Amino acid sequence: DDQFLLLLGVSPQDEDYYKGLLSSPSSTIKCKDGSFKFSTSQLNDDFCDCPDASDEPGTSACPNGKFYCKNAGHIPFSLYSSRVNDGICDCCDGSDEYDGKVKCPNTCWEAGKVARERLKMKIATYQQGVTVRNRLVEQAKLAIAKEEAELSKLKNEEKILKGLVEQLQERKEQIEKAEEKERLQKEKEDKERKETEEANLKEKQNGEQVESSEADALKNDIHDKIGEQVESSEADALKNDMHDKIGLLGDSSSSQDVMEGHGDSESEAQHGEFDVKEESSIGDVKPLQEDSLLHATEKEEQLTVDGQPGLDTGNQAEVEEDNSESLSKEELGRLVASRWTGEKTEPQTQEVSSAKDKNHGTEEEDAYGEEYSGYDSEEDEHRYDNNDDGDNEDQMDDFGGEDHDDSSPSYKSESDDEPDLPAEPSWLEKIQKSVRRIFQAVTFFQTPVDKSEAARVRKEYDESSAKLSKLQSRISSLTHKLKHDFGREKEFYSFYGQCFENKQNKYVYKICPFKQASQVEGHSTTRLGSWEKFEDSYKVMQFLNGDKCWNGPDRSMKASILLVKLRCGLNNEVTDVDEPSRCEYLALLSTPAVCVEEKLKELQDKLDMMNKEQPTSHDEL
Amino acid sequence: WKKDEFRNCNQTPFCKRARSRKPGACNLIATEVSISDDGDLIAKLITKIPENNGSQDPPVEVDSQPLLLTISVYQDGILRLKIDEDQSLNPPKKRFEEKIDNDLGFSSVVYLDGDYEGVLRHDPFEVFVRERGNGKRVLSINSNGLFDFEQLREKKEGDDWEERFRSHTDTRPYGPQSISFDVSFFGADIVSGIPEHATSLALKPTSGPGVEDGFSEPYRLFNLDVFEYLHESPFGLYGSIPFMFSHGKARGSSGFFWLNAAEMQIDVFGTGWNAGQDKIMMPVDEKRIDTLWMSEAGVVDAFFFVGPGPKDVVRQYTSVTGRPAMPQLFATAYHQCRWNYRDEEDVFGVDSKFDEHDIPYDVLWLDIEHTDGKRYFTWDKVLFPNPEEMQNKLAAKGRHMVTIVDPHIKRDDNYYIHKEASDNGYYVKDASNRDFDGWCWPGSSSYVDVVNPDIRSWWADKFSYGNYVGSTPYLYIWNDMNEPSVFNGPEVTMPRDALHFGGTEHRELHNAYGYYFHMATSNGLVKRENGKDRPFVLSRAFFPGTQRYGAVWTGDNTAEWDHLRVSVPMLLTLGLTGISFSGADVGGFFGNPEPDLLVRWYQLGAYYPFFRAHAHQDTKRREPWLFGERNTQLIREAIHTRYMFLPYFYTLFREANVTGTPVIRPLWMEFPADEETFSNDEAFMVGNGLLVQGVYTERAKHVSVYLPGDQSWYDLRNGATYKGGKRHKFEALEDSVPAFQRAGTIIPRKDRFRRSSTQMDKDPYTLVIALNSSKEAEGELYIDDGKSFNFENGAYIHRHFKFSNGKLTSSNAAPSGAGGNKFSTDCTVERIILLGLSPAPKSAFIEPSNQKVGIEMGPLTIRPGKNPSFATIRKPNVRIADNWTIKIL
Repeated sequence: DDQFLLLLGVSPQDEDYYKGLLSSPSSTIKCKDGSFKFSTSQLNDDFCDCPDASDEPGTSACPNGKFYCKNAGHIPFSLYSSRVNDGICDCCDGSDEYDGKVKCPNTCWEAGKVARERLKMKIATYQQGVTVRNRLVEQAKLAIAKEEAELSKLKNEEKILKGLVEQLQERKEQIEKAEEKERLQKEKEDKERKETEEANLKEKQNGEQVESSEADALKNDIHDKIGEQVESSEADALKNDMHDKIGLLGDSSSSQDVMEGHGDSESEAQHGEFDVKEESSIGDVKPLQEDSLLHATEKEEQLTVDGQPGLDTGNQAEVEEDNSESLSKEELGRLVASRWTGEKTEPQTQEVSSAKDKNHGTEEEDAYGEEYSGYDSEEDEHRYDNNDDGDNEDQMDDFGGEDHDDSSPSYKSESDDEPDLPAEPSWLEKIQKSVRRIFQAVTFFQTPVDKSEAARVRKEYDESSAKLSKLQSRISSLTHKLKHDFGREKEFYSFYGQCFENKQNKYVYKICPFKQASQVEGHSTTRLGSWEKFEDSYKVMQFLNGDKCWNGPDRSMKASILLVKLRCGLNNEVTDVDEPSRCEYLALLSTPAVCVEEKLKELQDKLDMMNKEQPTSHDEL
Repeated sequence: WKKDEFRNCNQTPFCKRARSRKPGACNLIATEVSISDDGDLIAKLITKIPENNGSQDPPVEVDSQPLLLTISVYQDGILRLKIDEDQSLNPPKKRFEEKIDNDLGFSSVVYLDGDYEGVLRHDPFEVFVRERGNGKRVLSINSNGLFDFEQLREKKEGDDWEERFRSHTDTRPYGPQSISFDVSFFGADIVSGIPEHATSLALKPTSGPGVEDGFSEPYRLFNLDVFEYLHESPFGLYGSIPFMFSHGKARGSSGFFWLNAAEMQIDVFGTGWNAGQDKIMMPVDEKRIDTLWMSEAGVVDAFFFVGPGPKDVVRQYTSVTGRPAMPQLFATAYHQCRWNYRDEEDVFGVDSKFDEHDIPYDVLWLDIEHTDGKRYFTWDKVLFPNPEEMQNKLAAKGRHMVTIVDPHIKRDDNYYIHKEASDNGYYVKDASNRDFDGWCWPGSSSYVDVVNPDIRSWWADKFSYGNYVGSTPYLYIWNDMNEPSVFNGPEVTMPRDALHFGGTEHRELHNAYGYYFHMATSNGLVKRENGKDRPFVLSRAFFPGTQRYGAVWTGDNTAEWDHLRVSVPMLLTLGLTGISFSGADVGGFFGNPEPDLLVRWYQLGAYYPFFRAHAHQDTKRREPWLFGERNTQLIREAIHTRYMFLPYFYTLFREANVTGTPVIRPLWMEFPADEETFSNDEAFMVGNGLLVQGVYTERAKHVSVYLPGDQSWYDLRNGATYKGGKRHKFEALEDSVPAFQRAGTIIPRKDRFRRSSTQMDKDPYTLVIALNSSKEAEGELYIDDGKSFNFENGAYIHRHFKFSNGKLTSSNAAPSGAGGNKFSTDCTVERIILLGLSPAPKSAFIEPSNQKVGIEMGPLTIRPGKNPSFATIRKPNVRIADNWTIKIL
């Protein structure tokens, strides 16, 4: 028993280290850090000899020591030495309080039971979760393989189609050139005819008739050449012009593609529309600006987005304050208060604000509002419970352990932005065929241009290039999708195009992985961040650069951010959203995607250990 | 900082008038001098009618009444001068006179201290204190003839007394009533005091030659809620103490205190300010600092403190305004605050994180958001559904909580406080005698008229456990916004023509409003435990006497290096003017500190008398563990340092409680003759034994530290010795700011760390003996129960330790037979470290237990890694409460 007292607070791994001291009272060993030596009588003698605390595992004498409680029946635990004999029972076996000032009952078995039950439940969740996850991984691999195959096929088709479109374009241009030439020729002929007639008239008047077909031919020739030059340069200019326009259109459509593909914020696009509206409808400018201010009372950060983008808000504050002399008492009070709170001070008029939001609101958001009602929010009752092993993470993992169908209404697929591509695999061949026909039929140019042939070429060209652009946009969206990091085993593949929702008081949080996250209050939406990446070995999702947010007294604006912590659970569900610092959000998402096998093993080992160490009797010191 | 929102001197008519007056303008003379029955010297001040030397000018018309002058003298070198209107002549109004609620030193009126005499010169009128015998002047009033007293008069047809500032109009129904005069400090190298300003300890001149940029305005004393105050400005902040301290190498210290609660403006004149003014006859050989004091209202009730040592002046000043209260022990430990810990979950989260990281803390604070709609004494039911359970849970770990209670009351008929206050007429009234309605956190608000003792008593009752639902004995209070802050008022405060109890105008007592509120709250906490528990109330506004009611902090500072730096002169100034228990928000309230700044702030803040971290709601979270492992470790060590020195701090708080000597002190308070220290406000003394130097620059490589005196200093980090009287250049180590123990001192510590100070109660002591060149040292230790008032009846232990001739003696320093109560403790001394003893002896002999103990080599503080070793008496295990000696063999 003496030995037991000597080794008070020593963890099993350290028992070997102290062995040397147990043989005789005069034996000495070195502190673990090698700085000093200490003897058996100095071990746990309530005086700190080793700066690293190795001589005092069982007392509070060294400020940085650790005390090991066995906690038989529960989980062994190492306490800070500052807890030893401080009058507070920390170990469930009571071993940390032995100076007689307080009596700590052994609660390990009871507490252990609860912990074991919880652990078992968690293991059960993990067991199922691992299965679900494996399925996810399988499905993802198949889906990705399919998409990759599709992509390479599409790229191949694109190449062919591009060639055809180029050919058609070339032909089309030839035709157009020829048509233009014909047109000019016709004009010229008309003119000449006129001139000739006039000349004839003159000649008749002069009584002279000069006829020189050669001279005419020469003239025509020269004329032709000049005409051609003029014509071609004009045509070039025209062509360039057209090209520019087409290029512009092409650019804008491709950027739209990117937007769709990226799934960039809907609201951004709306803001764009809104801006345009604001600028174009001059008569409406004033109310709109008011609206944007009103909007800002709720979401200050939108001020710059909705209002004038270049506006220095600090200056605006100055301006406002300079006018403070003309404010009413209440306005002045609110204004001064706002310095500390950062809140905007214009009186809120809900009606106007919501009216504006109505104009503004999108069907999609409305749809969400409705759909959301089916969502069953699950509060974790144990959140405040003191978990004896202090493992909050594990506790969190217990959230939402119940079975839910994967088609839970709490998330829905984002609208399918994919372009319509002909489903028939032979569509390309058909095009190829008809193009071939064109080229066979029209082997060389004939003047005058065959009108029906020209129309056919044009139609064929229009159709093919439309198809090409669809094809390209599909390629770009697929490429974009496949570029994403879907996790080590692509376990997050199914998150693509999904959104998860959670309601906290008046806010609805909408988290769309690989895209963006937002906070919706009524009809107003705040972007919390755009997808950035996974962090912390795929345990956290990061959304950065959300809407601007007041930050502190210097009135600087900073972008909101959202971190989503991932916990093992059987369905995808946002269990909590919080704002620990201004504009910094934290959400918990339970998902089978993180139910990894290694963790399951760890938990099982832990349970085995807890079951093994059953207290034989009430150990009390 | 919104400059335009506040009045400068030019926009303040009384200040403008006073400042434009020429030296010698005063033509008052003292007549009818007599001695009253109380032994006071009484005189009348009348306007001298210039002799008409044959000039044709009509005689000057005198429309003023004689003023009544009284000079009283009190023991310990205090002279009091009062000048007021003669009430027998029926002035239009009795001017407001702030009362000293103190019987210390007032019972026995004696003539000025044997070495000094007070002199009233009749023509021209002047009052001064001089050394008896050599006739050297110490302090004087009206030597420059700037005295002016605007007497109250009836409003005549055509008088426009209204004053307008921005959108506000002050009706000024009583017209001009200001008072101004000059005060001269003789033999002064520096003047200091008159908080609160964010500026240097030695006050810079504000008038005359040598005025620096930004200092052309007088030092303003007008309690204001200043948004984002500047770190270098004579502008007035949250509190006001019209007490100026002078110090000089030649003579020592003196002090001048004007008890007056109206707006005051004080100019410090640069040397040579009055060159060419031949009207004034002043001794030219004297080193002298002249000052000009201007107040909007009130009476002259001025005190002259003769010193001559710095500690004498604080003692004299606090004998008039009261000694600092003895704080609860827990309140001297570390406080964790933020606007806001949002809900119970947040509170428990933060609380458990401290434990997880083994960082001690004692108090968790809740700012305004914990209330139900900014109705104080209530809880937001969603965020804090179970406040009592929450407090009890923290209390189970020995921790306490603080909630905020401000003086603005939400005007909501369903709010019981408002209902009672409005029904009973307990609010401050506006100029038209309706309840004043101003804007603050809750929106439309009224302000409790705490100037009335009955209303204070009513307010105090609100803190009973029955009235304050959800409060427990572990809950203490924070008074903010008590300047008072009124968001839509002139200069963000209450209009000057608002009316208080007894028809007193707000202008007359503005600077004392927050003090009365603090007083009422503090009394409430005393009341709720029937006088058995010391109150803890933190206040932002303050006034002379605030030290009797609790702690103050320096308000809304900013997370910048300059604000870290200015916190030191600000706190030193508060200490000089009686308020010992003070601190600045660690980390800076506004903005986000870089980790380097935050760590340096913790390292310095650990030595503030009041040690609290606080942050604005828009800032990033900054609890100690959020900046990576290394920074967590550094902050933990900084906080540990404070806990280690808690026995020393507590002893110093007791010293302040008995003598007024502040816990942290300017170097010159300990080394009054060392001129090098006079302008040093980057370093300070904690008691007489520790010198601490802040690190005020980002990624500093070196720190230059001046170590005063002729004795050595021991580096707290490694025990290395450095010579005094020299400036040393140190490498700026990451793990602490430079701090030194002065040779010749013994400092008691507790080196074991716990969750909070509560669990350290039974822990053994470490004594650190830093020997001086004659191998001697001494020190003290004060212990009591840490919370009750029993110490007032003798329930405390006060030990005196002395080391000389190789022997350490512990003896009782408590006066014998002090009270009937006893306090006992079983605490022992586990370790005695001897610095400056070589070669190290092998053992020591303890008496009376006649026991031999070993001396080993041990580190100065226990921390991992190799540290230099010093002779350490291992486990003497003598009881701290006993008499004993330990002889080195």
